[in-house]
Amino acid sequence: MRIGNLNQRILLETLSSAAFALLMLYLLRSGEYLNYVTPRLRPYLYFTVAVTLIWTVAGFLRLGRPQRRQRVGHCFVLVAPILLFLLPHTPLAPADVSWTYAGGAPLAASSPAGGATQSLDVISGGGVYTAPAAALPGADETNHIIVVDNDSFYPWLNEIYGNMDKYAGWQIYLTGFVLKDPEVFLENEFMTARLGMTCCAADLVPYGLICQYSGVAALTPDSWVTVEGIIQAGEYNGWPEPQIIVTGITDAQEAPGYIYPFG
Amino acid sequence: MIAPVYVLTGFLSAGKTSFLNSLLARSDWRNIRILVIQFENGEEELSISGNSCKKILFPLKELERQPKEIARQIRHHLREGNYDEIWIEWNGIIPLAQLQSLLSLPLLRSRCKIRRVVHIADAAELEKLLGRTGKALPEQIANSDFALIRNETAADAVKIRKLLRAVNPGLRAYSIESYDDFYRQLLRKTWPPLSVFIVAVILLSAVYLVAAPPLTQIGLPLNKIVNVFLGIILQATPFLLVGVLISGAVEIFISRAAIESRFPKTNLAGMMTAVMAGFCLPVCDCATIPVFHGLVRKGIPLPAAVTFMTAAPVINPVVIFSTYYAFNGNMRVVALRVILGLAAALAVGVTFVIFPPKKHIMTDNSPARAVCESSYWEIEGGETDFLGKISLLFRHAQIEFFNMGKFLAFGSFVSAVLQTVAPKTLASSASGGGLILSLLIMMSMGFLLSLCSSSDAVIARAFASQFPPAALMGFMIFGPMMDIKNALMLSSVFSGRFIARLTFTAFAACFALVLLYAGAGGMY
Repeated sequence: MRIGNLNQRILLETLSSAAFALLMLYLLRSGEYLNYVTPRLRPYLYFTVAVTLIWTVAGFLRLGRPQRRQRVGHCFVLVAPILLFLLPHTPLAPADVSWTYAGGAPLAASSPAGGATQSLDVISGGGVYTAPAAALPGADETNHIIVVDNDSFYPWLNEIYGNMDKYAGWQIYLTGFVLKDPEVFLENEFMTARLGMTCCAADLVPYGLICQYSGVAALTPDSWVTVEGIIQAGEYNGWPEPQIIVTGITDAQEAPGYIYPFG
Repeated sequence: MIAPVYVLTGFLSAGKTSFLNSLLARSDWRNIRILVIQFENGEEELSISGNSCKKILFPLKELERQPKEIARQIRHHLREGNYDEIWIEWNGIIPLAQLQSLLSLPLLRSRCKIRRVVHIADAAELEKLLGRTGKALPEQIANSDFALIRNETAADAVKIRKLLRAVNPGLRAYSIESYDDFYRQLLRKTWPPLSVFIVAVILLSAVYLVAAPPLTQIGLPLNKIVNVFLGIILQATPFLLVGVLISGAVEIFISRAAIESRFPKTNLAGMMTAVMAGFCLPVCDCATIPVFHGLVRKGIPLPAAVTFMTAAPVINPVVIFSTYYAFNGNMRVVALRVILGLAAALAVGVTFVIFPPKKHIMTDNSPARAVCESSYWEIEGGETDFLGKISLLFRHAQIEFFNMGKFLAFGSFVSAVLQTVAPKTLASSASGGGLILSLLIMMSMGFLLSLCSSSDAVIARAFASQFPPAALMGFMIFGPMMDIKNALMLSSVFSGRFIARLTFTAFAACFALVLLYAGAGGMY
């Protein structure tokens, strides 16, 4: 069959379906899809690969069908994302996230607006995460020291929120970026935070622990640090929450990727 | 030499022959050697004068039985006559694809090539014909470059063009009187679509690369917009696929008769069934739009279908789960979201029981159903075995995916831009306002941001320090029901009037319910 006789519309539909399937496979295999969506979406993305591959095969079988007027604009539905994936862009960094002003993470900003008349029973009796501390790496039960590695940032956050009394007084090493927001934090407060993704890159919000530190002014916002300090049962807007009394701060390597609280 | 072929399509007695007659009579066409081929013997006789023109006629029977013989004859004439142009009057009830197959036979391929296809339509008949005459007519319209409209009155000009464009958005329609415009366009050179597409892709890439730095400087960080856009697309595409496949399955495996006999007769039972179905479909709002479309097309009563569309994204298990997590296991928030969402969806459904839409909801005009079905003309019908039906299902899903995907992509882009620039502006405007103002702002934000209903609870939670719980609740129940992305996707098949009504009703219902509840006893 000659190229000139191929149905251009079906050709482009088929090629873009194939390219989209390949791109999804690449993102899944390389793990790069985690820059855009959470691990929870993994099976759905494989499903997408399957459907687009079926369209590709079906399209090849129909390539010879004559059709006079060939519109191809609709193929942009698949081509636009492919193109944007290929064009240079970098994963979102803390400075890009626009929800910071809202008072930190859903988990950290545990106070409801409107004052004490409403009761928002967050963090009561262990929150939603109930795994025992023994399951988490980095805990030294005898000396009461926690070294939080990059992979267990969120589990530890949950664990400490859930068992504030147990961990009060423990020493902690936590790595995250410096979140400063004068609208939310006091002058001697900042948050050691990581970006967490619930669904996709559109809903990145910072998760972390509020740190009390006299040298906040000297910290560069969004720079990566390892905070060393003592956990204490603090209060934020009248609600109990764990905080860190900082004893030392060192620069740290940026932790790769995001955290996926529900992924 | 390859002779250019001009094809006239149009239903029987649309006026193809009289158009050809008036064309051949024009003085400026006298110097060209033209071969006229008719595949239809209409009421009007083709009158040919002079030696430069020749006509041949093939009856329909011959076309069906001996296409090779026809090709051989045409080739013979082409050799004899050395024609400058070929004009073909195609049969009104045969798909144009058949002519293309004929002309691409080895015998003819090197001799002639279709240059332009012109559709002749009778304004007085078109609307009626589109609904009744099967797939050939929409196929012909869809494959034509131009439409020439006869018997057009000022009153129906807009309507006719709308109809034609619904079948073929790129069609250029002319009134048959405006010859000169038409001829100029007819002979203009155009690019093949694939080349245009490739050029567009290259241009867009160039614009992106050039525009990114300056846009970022003026506070529109392209990098963020791209990330958010890709996030939404990657998140929404699988759900849209689920939706179009379900919609396709409804279309192909469930007959209208089965729905008419099985689906509950009363509106209340119908709406309850819709709620149950919504609960069982663990997908977000991207999937419910195509399913809603499929249900309406199959004749599910509108109140039930609308209830399904508005309830499913709020009450499905994924959303319940993510709300539970976002609000740290607060069951009151979860329960309130489900109950208020459900109540609002039922209220919207009830308004469609009390005030059934007077006009057809699919597009502005009554023949909308015909056009809608016409847009699936490319699907070859008749498969009855299971495998055939499955392949039909995927074809159907693909067409609907591309159709709605355009709007999903556009809506996601708008939403990505708004998410980058709007929240701070909106949030700061709420400071100091009362409950009503903050509720209005959060609901508008739900509409504008077009978040996926399975993640919006987290965003709502992030607003908790600035907005009262009632406003967050309004955000969480109205956002999934209706937002920019959904409205755009709906607009691919439904009339603007219907979408506006749906949006307004859903907004009013959510607003009133949240306000009532907040007034009665606080939120959570």
